[in-house]
Amino acid sequence: MADALLVRLKQLIVDTLKLDDLRADQIPDDEPLIGSGLNLDSIDALELVVQLEREFGIKIRSSEETRAILSSVAHLAAYVRAHAPPEKLLPLP
Amino acid sequence: MIERFIHAVAVEDPGPEEPAQTRDRLRDLFPPGATRRMTQLGLVIGGVLHPLDPRETDAIVYASTHAETRALEAYLASFPNASPMLFQTSIHPSAVQQVLIAWERPVGQFFPLAGRLQIVAHAVQTALLASGSRSILCGGEERKPVLLGQGAGSAITFAFALALTPDPAGALGALALAGGGAPDGRLLLCDFFAAVRDRRPLRQAAAPGLELILSWT
Amino acid sequence: MAPPDSQPLRLRATGCRTALGDARATCAGLLLGRRALELLPVLGSEGGDPVPLAPLPGRNLMETAPPAWLSCLDELAAEIPPAPWGSARHPVFVTSSNFGVGSLYAVQRTGDPRHFATGMPFATVEFIGARLGWGTNVTVVSHACVSAHVGLLLAERGLRAGLADRALVFSFDFISPFVTGGFHALKILNGGMPAPFSARATGSIGLGDGAAFAVLELGQGGYRLSAQATHNEMHHFTGNRPDGAGFATCLAPVAAAAAGRRLWIKGHGTGTLEAGRLESVTLASVFPGAPLVSWKGSLGHTLGSCGLVELAVAIAALDSGRTPGTIAAEPPCFTDTVAIAPFANGGFDGVVLASNAFGGAHAACLLSHD
Repeated sequence: MADALLVRLKQLIVDTLKLDDLRADQIPDDEPLIGSGLNLDSIDALELVVQLEREFGIKIRSSEETRAILSSVAHLAAYVRAHAPPEKLLPLP
Repeated sequence: MIERFIHAVAVEDPGPEEPAQTRDRLRDLFPPGATRRMTQLGLVIGGVLHPLDPRETDAIVYASTHAETRALEAYLASFPNASPMLFQTSIHPSAVQQVLIAWERPVGQFFPLAGRLQIVAHAVQTALLASGSRSILCGGEERKPVLLGQGAGSAITFAFALALTPDPAGALGALALAGGGAPDGRLLLCDFFAAVRDRRPLRQAAAPGLELILSWT
Repeated sequence: MAPPDSQPLRLRATGCRTALGDARATCAGLLLGRRALELLPVLGSEGGDPVPLAPLPGRNLMETAPPAWLSCLDELAAEIPPAPWGSARHPVFVTSSNFGVGSLYAVQRTGDPRHFATGMPFATVEFIGARLGWGTNVTVVSHACVSAHVGLLLAERGLRAGLADRALVFSFDFISPFVTGGFHALKILNGGMPAPFSARATGSIGLGDGAAFAVLELGQGGYRLSAQATHNEMHHFTGNRPDGAGFATCLAPVAAAAAGRRLWIKGHGTGTLEAGRLESVTLASVFPGAPLVSWKGSLGHTLGSCGLVELAVAIAALDSGRTPGTIAAEPPCFTDTVAIAPFANGGFDGVVLASNAFGGAHAACLLSHD
């Protein structure tokens, strides 16, 4: 069964960045988000961060930290699990 | 008098077209995925620059009075969680940068101007005085007549681009600045666009000491 | 008389205002190692994370109507040699990145329509022009953090074309939540104090208020701009070509003009890592051995005004005989040419000044003197 947080994060990426030509399930778990086949760049990364901070109550401090956290969706999910308040990880209604 | 000759002209006059329609119409001018972040102004600027094929040796002069009004308003609305993408997009001269970055086209001389009443005169002067063999004079606005509920925005979306060189052979027209003219000379960007679109000649004081002369062959 | 295109471009007068004061006070403060930046809430009176900012003393980030920074421009304008500025033969080039955008933020937050009088770039410039008694021959240049350099270049071209007797370049940028919020969202205004050209784990910038002017004319003597150059990579909005070629392309004509001179360099050096590394390495390659300084570790990045503010400070440094070092830089630096401490500048006969901006925009000039 798909990891619910991974599914949620992938949909957030598609919605936030308006990736109209991509389905969430087409985003690989372990490939880099930035500078890869998704054609996302550092501005996309920062835009994602704003949404992640708002939705999960996390705080990412620098552009260097942004790059590290967004090295893959799996890595992002691990970071969110480690730093988000538990109530933010509950499934969306 | 300083003068250059017009060797290419492109205009975008999309009427009341909404940004999503502009994106659908012009998306093939850009790499896949590039238009998702582009503003309507960026798209129409791309529409007029594309046929002129900007090169690194060109001087590009870009004029816009109101620039990225939709992105600006959306950015302000994003606070307190400010959007980095909208911040970036709202900063002049975003429209030309959106296009040339999508195309990965460096340019040696790039002169973005704002202003209102004398913007055309100063943009033309900048283009006519640029070094190098070719200048591209471009400009435009996106329709957003009411910014933040206070008015002051463009009533229409438009863009234009002229390629200018010192060579009169085969020219479509000429663009010149002569001395003299009324001390309160003025020419709005939308009026200059209309003359270019309609291939109408113009001769008027456009700034203190500057008379603008646009002629067509 | 020599034709206009062969006469030197003279800086008849320059001046600036920063959080440390006018050009002389700013230079003196920098020589003492003073840091104008302090940790302040990113959204001013609306709070937010503490970030390094250097507003003018007593200025609130939230704009008033009319803007409180107008008095700073009045003071600065009083230093400008009198002339019929804005007339046909005395053009003005106003350069800024943000103009009065803080007023637009205030409109959006308060709904007070009075702020709109200075919200859009054209409105800000028309307001200032009327206040300072200028005519309407005012070119409005808006090219982010290279705006001032572009203004200097356009002024030179107008003079050499015989279209003006003297030209005034007038530059300003005053920080507001619009701007601080944006750079905070880019994660480079992030609570860390900037350390220009330093090889750290995290890059950080500070932002500061700045305003400056330069009066240019053709003629001999005094301080001169002996070369000016620009280049625009158009590679990415916030990143440079990783090979540094964009920096090198801009610097090449300035290096050619500077051949044989003993130079020091005022770099852009905001405190970001990758751009700082590319800039300092390229400068060290193009100008071997030339000491490199940045003052943004103290003054913050004054955005569209930085090129002209820092030109005025460089001239004050030449007048004083000492160049302020790179305040807040921490070894190891990206190159050993970064000058952390102040140094005597009497043995030099030229200064290269460089600025960079979003979109991979680069600008540089050579300041020379007798």
